[in-house]
Amino acid sequence: MVDPASTPLGKMLLEEITPVVMVLCTPNVEEACLKNGLSFVQMLTPFCNFNNIDAVLVRTASDQPYRLQKFKLRLFYASDIRQPNLEVAEERLKQVITQAGERDFSELSIDPPHVDDLVSRSEPEILPSWFQVFNKELIRTLSFSDHEAFDHPVACLLVVSSKDEEPINRFVDLFNTNKLPSLLNDGVMDPMILKHYLLLHDNQDETSEKATKILTEMRGTFGPNDCQLLCINSSKDGPLQHQDNPWSQFKLDALPGQHLGCFLNIDDFNEIKDILQELSTKHIIPYMEQKIHVLNQKVSATRKGFRNQIKNLWWRKGKEDELDSLNGPIYTFSSIESQIRILGDYAFMLQDYDLALSNYHLISTDYKLDKAWKRYAAVQEMMGLTYFLLDQSRKEAESCMENAFDTYLKIESAGQQNATRCGLWWIGMLKARDQHKEAATVYFRICGEDPLHSAVMLEQASYCYFFSKPTMLHKYGFHLVLSGDHYKKCDQVKHAIRTYKSAISVYKETTWDHIKDYVHFHIGRWYAFLGLYDIAVMHMLEVLACSHQSKKNQELFLRDFLQIVQKTGKTFEVFKLKLPVISISSLKVIFEDQRTYASPAAASVKESIWHSLEEDMVPSLTTARSNWLELQSKLMPKKYKESNICVAGGMKIPFLKQSSQQLEVVLIWETGDPEAIKVDVEFRNPLQISISISGVSLICELSASPEEMKSDASSSAIELQNDENKNSRTSVDIISPFILSEVDFTLAGGETILVQLTVAPRVEGILKIVGVRWKLSSSVVGFHNFESNFLNTKIVKGRNSKHSPINELKFMVIESLPKLEGFIHPFPESTYVGDLRPLVLELRNQSKYPVQNLKMKISHPRFLVIGNQEELNIKFPTFLEKTINVETNGGLAKSNTISQGVFSFPEDIMVLEETPLRWSLWLRTAVPGDISFYITVYYEMGEVSGVMRYRILRMHYNLKVLPSLDVSFQISPCPLRMQEFLLRMNVLNQTSSESFQVHQLSSVAKQWGISLLQPVDGVLPSRSLFPHQALSCFFMLKDHKSLTSENRISSPSLHLESDVKLGPQSDDETLYEVSRLPLADFHNCERLHQGTLQQGIQHRVDFILISRLLRSNIHAGASDLHLFSHHACHCSLSSKSPISWLVDGPRTICHDFAASFCEINVRMTISNSADGVVSVHVNPSDSHSSGGQSSNAAAAAHHSEDQAGWHDIPVAKDIKVTSDVLATQAGKSMSLESVLPFIWSGSSFTKVLIEPKSTVEVPLQICVFAPGTYDLSNYVLNWNLVPASSDEGNLGEQKPSSGVCQGYPYHLTVLQST
Amino acid sequence: MATTACFIIVSRNDIPIYEAEVGSAAKREDAAQLHQFILHAALDIVQDLAWTTSAMFLKSIDRFNDLVVSVYVTAGHILYIFN
Repeated sequence: MVDPASTPLGKMLLEEITPVVMVLCTPNVEEACLKNGLSFVQMLTPFCNFNNIDAVLVRTASDQPYRLQKFKLRLFYASDIRQPNLEVAEERLKQVITQAGERDFSELSIDPPHVDDLVSRSEPEILPSWFQVFNKELIRTLSFSDHEAFDHPVACLLVVSSKDEEPINRFVDLFNTNKLPSLLNDGVMDPMILKHYLLLHDNQDETSEKATKILTEMRGTFGPNDCQLLCINSSKDGPLQHQDNPWSQFKLDALPGQHLGCFLNIDDFNEIKDILQELSTKHIIPYMEQKIHVLNQKVSATRKGFRNQIKNLWWRKGKEDELDSLNGPIYTFSSIESQIRILGDYAFMLQDYDLALSNYHLISTDYKLDKAWKRYAAVQEMMGLTYFLLDQSRKEAESCMENAFDTYLKIESAGQQNATRCGLWWIGMLKARDQHKEAATVYFRICGEDPLHSAVMLEQASYCYFFSKPTMLHKYGFHLVLSGDHYKKCDQVKHAIRTYKSAISVYKETTWDHIKDYVHFHIGRWYAFLGLYDIAVMHMLEVLACSHQSKKNQELFLRDFLQIVQKTGKTFEVFKLKLPVISISSLKVIFEDQRTYASPAAASVKESIWHSLEEDMVPSLTTARSNWLELQSKLMPKKYKESNICVAGGMKIPFLKQSSQQLEVVLIWETGDPEAIKVDVEFRNPLQISISISGVSLICELSASPEEMKSDASSSAIELQNDENKNSRTSVDIISPFILSEVDFTLAGGETILVQLTVAPRVEGILKIVGVRWKLSSSVVGFHNFESNFLNTKIVKGRNSKHSPINELKFMVIESLPKLEGFIHPFPESTYVGDLRPLVLELRNQSKYPVQNLKMKISHPRFLVIGNQEELNIKFPTFLEKTINVETNGGLAKSNTISQGVFSFPEDIMVLEETPLRWSLWLRTAVPGDISFYITVYYEMGEVSGVMRYRILRMHYNLKVLPSLDVSFQISPCPLRMQEFLLRMNVLNQTSSESFQVHQLSSVAKQWGISLLQPVDGVLPSRSLFPHQALSCFFMLKDHKSLTSENRISSPSLHLESDVKLGPQSDDETLYEVSRLPLADFHNCERLHQGTLQQGIQHRVDFILISRLLRSNIHAGASDLHLFSHHACHCSLSSKSPISWLVDGPRTICHDFAASFCEINVRMTISNSADGVVSVHVNPSDSHSSGGQSSNAAAAAHHSEDQAGWHDIPVAKDIKVTSDVLATQAGKSMSLESVLPFIWSGSSFTKVLIEPKSTVEVPLQICVFAPGTYDLSNYVLNWNLVPASSDEGNLGEQKPSSGVCQGYPYHLTVLQST
Repeated sequence: MATTACFIIVSRNDIPIYEAEVGSAAKREDAAQLHQFILHAALDIVQDLAWTTSAMFLKSIDRFNDLVVSVYVTAGHILYIFN
């Protein structure tokens, strides 16, 4: 444990609670002293400390003498011995604070130190030194109170100058009652105090003879021991400079040029020292000893012992009634209470703490009983201090202090100040014991109504938290802020800033936004208040992006910030301005090297999509796997491998020419705009209020490439740097090697805007995009560098992860190159399925160099077909119309040469400047949905040699395709005739608003003829299909070939054509030629597409339904006519089996069953439509088992369905009748009819091999035993595809190699012949 | 008598992850930062106390004027209830 006396509090107590000597002196004395720049008291003060008075043995109440280690006298003029004026004291305190504020503020660094640094520093380094001064001053405001005795003068020093007239009389006059302090006059103090007489002689005036004479006279009058002579100003050689001036620490407000004590030489020093030593050891200490003795005896006699205590209690109880004054009774110096208090204080001052404590104990109970609270508290306070100095019972000490503190606070008037002092002492105690946390709470309790005191106390409290172990940084910060608020209330702005700044170091790294904002905002405001706008702005910047604050606060922050910025009178340039927020992850760089984009939408498409399209187009090197990137890296110098390429334009060579002291800039301009690098940056307004942003542009650096500089050594190598800070705006426009775009916009609250900024380089070199700059509310310029946190950046083109982030924004600028611009018009935004449209692709070249070797690839060749240049001039859709003269295989049907999907334009085609290339395209979408078209056009630059030989134009279009007509076809074979089919077409209008006019149905292959069984007019009188309307049409489908070969089947009523007009036959509208180019191409595509699903199965028919869109509001002009084509490919003619057959024979036979059973011959004609040889097993079964096998039943049902459809067509008027019903009926009838027996004769069980595409006739025979009607459908054809010896390919695996076919019903009526 | 309450969940690294002002009383102008200040300052106390007691709910561990801080400390996070 540290010695209490050596703690700050202990030291302070030993200095402050010491005997007071009242000084009374004449003006002449003062005058003599003032020659040294000091008053008399000041002159003596440095010599009042006695650190080692070993010579003196002190003997107080106990007879055990002890030595004082330290002793001090406090000298005061009698006029100062009074309670200080409260206002004056306050003023002085304020002054102390203000001075400290000024001093500390000038030392205040811009950046508060980091917390960790602070913690490592020692206490005195951090703690402002003026706290001590302030606390001392605060305690001094309470000196010379009447309820405490330690400030009461112990002795009186009367000083008269030797120059004074009648010095003896002067001595007497000096101790005149009306000059004495009120303490003595009011009876609080015993006026009979120790007097000491001192004659001051100024050696500069005259010799000391007169003084000696007076001294003798004095000794005669006042007694020989109490008089002394002091000679000063003995320096004969003029002013002296003292090495370590003893006064310097006591008189802080001395003027700098003033030499304190300049006329005092070493003799004077010694004399003063001796006199004061003598005064204390020979007079004051013995006097105090004696007084303690006397008082102690008196106290022992009256108060000690049991009897006295009882008496005292009794007496005080009686006294209680008559006293009701607030502070208890008035105690005069002669009262026993005052005397005990004096005894205690004297003992305390003589460091006999045991004695002091016992007396304090005694008196405290008395005061408590008397309800003299102030005195009680004061005694408690002293008890606490005594305990502390005794280093006994900490608990006692603290409880005493707390008790005193609370008691002080209880008394309303003036208690606060006493409480403050008590608190400070208490804190001193706690601090001495390292109880910083508790000390802080006491500081907090001290805070009274006076905001200034509170501020200082709170600040001290914060430091206590800081020094507590472990460091309580949160509390530290909080109390600093509290203290700052109080400082601000008292207009101590500098202190406020200081405390807040200290607090910043705590809050700097927290995420407690409200706190941070509050602190920064207020510091900013206060700095602005002091006129230090630059620093104010720095702090205000911190609070700008306060999205968490209320709208009101945000407005306040922004307004104040802008006001402060305005006051600075200049535009601020702030790196990383937080408003608006730039989302770096949104950063997108779009630039064009080989890859150019027709539209911004094309640029945002994933690179891989383009890549897959371009794979076949770009010239490949000998190495097999090469893409554009590898190519590029091979073509380019290694150095630039990492950097991206962009193309310069405009200024070709900046060439400086020095001529007659005038710098001329000669610019050679080239046609063609530079190709801009586009950077998409997202700006987000975190606030709820709108902010205006202006002048958003990129920050770029363009430097001539080192290689260029080397090769062009003769030309002046100039570093082309755009230094906009130096150049004025206008000059930049001429000299700047690149053009920057500027964007202005206003961000509403919470809005996010994607801004596209561009930079277009005009000279070759290395271009680097450094960052972005903008102006907030046209007063603050913000910068943001991209590189710093680029890690998460997603660059559209930056798919090469090996590139360092910096290089993503670094571009090698090469010379101007031709660039194609392309667009397709009119490209619809949405269309219906089947809509056939002509489109025009237009390619433009802005540069004077022609481009050639054009190639094109389209992502959806199924929907977008490349036409011919000639087609541009034809009229659509009239040219599609069928004319009689035109040969169907005519020139227009010639298909383009497309290899691997890449369309090569004719070699002679070049795109020249100002002559755009136009090329026709056909659009027809086959499926509904959103379709993204990607079109790439590859081209080569003929004459330009450079890094790039070719470029690619990328176009991207989105198309929304709505469903229009749902067309389906069903073909059922006719059981009666081979190669004749019933075609049923179901059309449903799926649109919600459009009407369609069905126009024409065409079968694509010429061998198939279609004829309409029933005019459409009957079903659809208006010819147009309204929304959601369905239509079913029936056609007969016939094979022309079979028609010619099998001439026996003919139906003259129907004429068979491959195209059937669905409209009224009389209408003069012509049919469209389906074999012409766009339709034929699209049909091929459809075939390919639909064919993949069911490949390799023969006997398929393709149909095209052509319809037209009817728009009532639009008069159908030729150009407005929308032609729709619906393609149904590979419509199956037969069922899944490759065979078809026909049973032929007599239908009605008369036979005499009496004679014999009847044998009937029928023929079965089986045809094989498969590619391979099929072996067919005809397997009639006598037992009719329709339900035997589910598959058979299903097959039967399927057939019968077709059958029913076939037979019922002429009867069924209502097309809505579903065939299912008929099917079930047929099934039922079958089972009923087949009751009667008949037998297939044995020869009927045959097996035949049928060659591909051939027909075989098989004779069959049945035996009938009774007349009746028989259904000969109870046979099964088992067919087997004979595996071919040659390679069948993988197609054979997909289709079934064998199957079972249920027989058709064949009704035979046998009658009994008569 | 406190009329408003502030509820904050603070993560282990003293980062506030949830903040709510509850109570029907008219909001004071400086309520938001005052509450934050008080709660932030109370973290010191929590850090001291949390290791000395096994209780998870620490009632009235700190106060500022009439605002009392109570804390519920979970194993990982610190949760505040504050009146």
